[in-house]
Amino acid sequence: MLEADVEVDRRDFAVRAELAVAPGERLALFGPSGAGKTTLLEVIAGLVAPRRARITVAGRLLTSTAPPPVAVPPWRRRVGLLRQDPGLFPHLSVRDNLRYSGHADQAELESLAAALGIEGLLGSMPARLSGGQAHRVALGRLLLSRCDVMLLDEPYTGLDAALRRTLSELVIASVGERGIPAILVAHELAEAQAFADRLAILDRGALLQTGAPDEVVGRPASRRVAELVGYTAFVPAGGEAGASLRAGPVYGVHPDRVISGSHEDRGVVLRGIVAGCRPSGARWEISLRTGEATVTGRLHEPVPADAELTVTVLDPPCFGPDGVAAGQSQVRS
Amino acid sequence: MSWVVSPQQSAVPGALRLANRWLGVGGAAIVWLLLLGPVIALLTHLSWSGITSALTAPGAWQPLIVSVEAGLITLVVLVLFCTPLAWALARGTLPFPRVWEIGVLASLLLPPLVIGLLLIFLIGPYTFIGQILGHFNIYAVNTFLALVIAEVYESAPYYVLGAQAAFAAVEPRLEQQAALLGDPPLAVFRRVTAPLATPGLAMALAVAWARAMGAFGAVIIIAYHPYGLPLQIWTTLQETGLSTALPFALVLLVVALPLPIAAYLWSARARSRRRG
Repeated sequence: MLEADVEVDRRDFAVRAELAVAPGERLALFGPSGAGKTTLLEVIAGLVAPRRARITVAGRLLTSTAPPPVAVPPWRRRVGLLRQDPGLFPHLSVRDNLRYSGHADQAELESLAAALGIEGLLGSMPARLSGGQAHRVALGRLLLSRCDVMLLDEPYTGLDAALRRTLSELVIASVGERGIPAILVAHELAEAQAFADRLAILDRGALLQTGAPDEVVGRPASRRVAELVGYTAFVPAGGEAGASLRAGPVYGVHPDRVISGSHEDRGVVLRGIVAGCRPSGARWEISLRTGEATVTGRLHEPVPADAELTVTVLDPPCFGPDGVAAGQSQVRS
Repeated sequence: MSWVVSPQQSAVPGALRLANRWLGVGGAAIVWLLLLGPVIALLTHLSWSGITSALTAPGAWQPLIVSVEAGLITLVVLVLFCTPLAWALARGTLPFPRVWEIGVLASLLLPPLVIGLLLIFLIGPYTFIGQILGHFNIYAVNTFLALVIAEVYESAPYYVLGAQAAFAAVEPRLEQQAALLGDPPLAVFRRVTAPLATPGLAMALAVAWARAMGAFGAVIIIAYHPYGLPLQIWTTLQETGLSTALPFALVLLVVALPLPIAAYLWSARARSRRRG
């Protein structure tokens, strides 16, 4: 079990977070750039000194600012960190990079290399590797280091989707097999959802919500969380007459939870004029002007511009004027 | 070296492109020859009989031995005392880093002759340091120690700046990664920092060696005796003329050059190995 209660100063704000990740559990830290996600990982890894912290891994105290202060140095923490930059040692071959920590025997190294698809590269120097190969080697080196916690700081940024999925599956399998806690920092929600058992939303140093990925996305605790997980519009709740976007409660509209047609039993029905329609993946992204707000939705069929359209926002979350969640929708038309 | 042709260049007529290329090669060759001019002049003005008679004279090899010994001790001093300074400068671990860097630069910019003059005020027999050394019968003027001190002063800034650049080129994240993989700081230095910085350190040391072997300005002021090779060349020139001094210049070149050339070839090989 990794338990971290951390408060660390940054130039513009302080990062405050309390996390507990069980053995074999995968937590994704999701938030915008500069939210303090990497800082949090660096404190856990012992690379950044916190103002106040208590960090334990499997009951082993790694950091404590309370007297008597404890600060186990990075080389004794057994905390593995994988960053976006694979950080391979350029003067060592792939084989020597993999066995850098000195824990792996030859058979283990070769079997992991085969699992990662790098068995043919063991004699190569890092400069000869492609970005994807270098990431596989860095992951292999981390897995062979026998760490007690795995920290992944946007490790797959810049890689193609197929490779990201492969590497993510390898990490998931490895975390489960070894029964160690893992934290992934991600700024893409899909990546965080694909990896995590639990999703934590961090914004400007504050942990806004923690929960199962579908719960956080489907039931955001606040309007800010909703914005961060992809809700692109907010429409007035409480009926058409007198409803105000600023003063009253609002429904959050997620583009992926918009369907065409009127389905009053499934959510909030909106009517408006199509302002634009463009392809988005295998769907069509429409912009719908409805009174005070312009709503975006991804539909299965294209709709011509300026057409009148009725859509249903499936079970949207409702937020009070203070931005805090006020439950789910009531049927509205 | 590869020639990358951009679309704009490819629109230039072939003959013009060829002329442009040869103009570039010709210009570079002229500068290269001008730089090598003194070496070429040395080799073309030497006679075999002149070399043998100069080098077989009694005591002719003593300055060479003095220079090599003083040069080697200088290198040891630089490695032991200046490497940690260069590392600290590269990692920014010292307070007010610019002040330290300006100090190193100032010693680089001082003319060697001025360094020699100022060293008299620092370690001369009537100075505080000179008197302390005198208590132990150690003298830092016109002694072998004075020669080493002068060579250290003349070569140290070159070594510090070169070594600083070599350490700065090592990505701190790699050192962090090594620590997270279980290496304590000394092991990180031995397994990551040192191997990655060594090609640059070797070049810095080679430059320092060349400066130490050729040190003259400070040496002539505080270490006129015992003669090293540069002073041997100077006094021979004064006493018997250019033709007798030239063989010693060749000796200086032969002794001073192999280390820098070896360091250059070794670092080029290390870099090429890293590229796979």
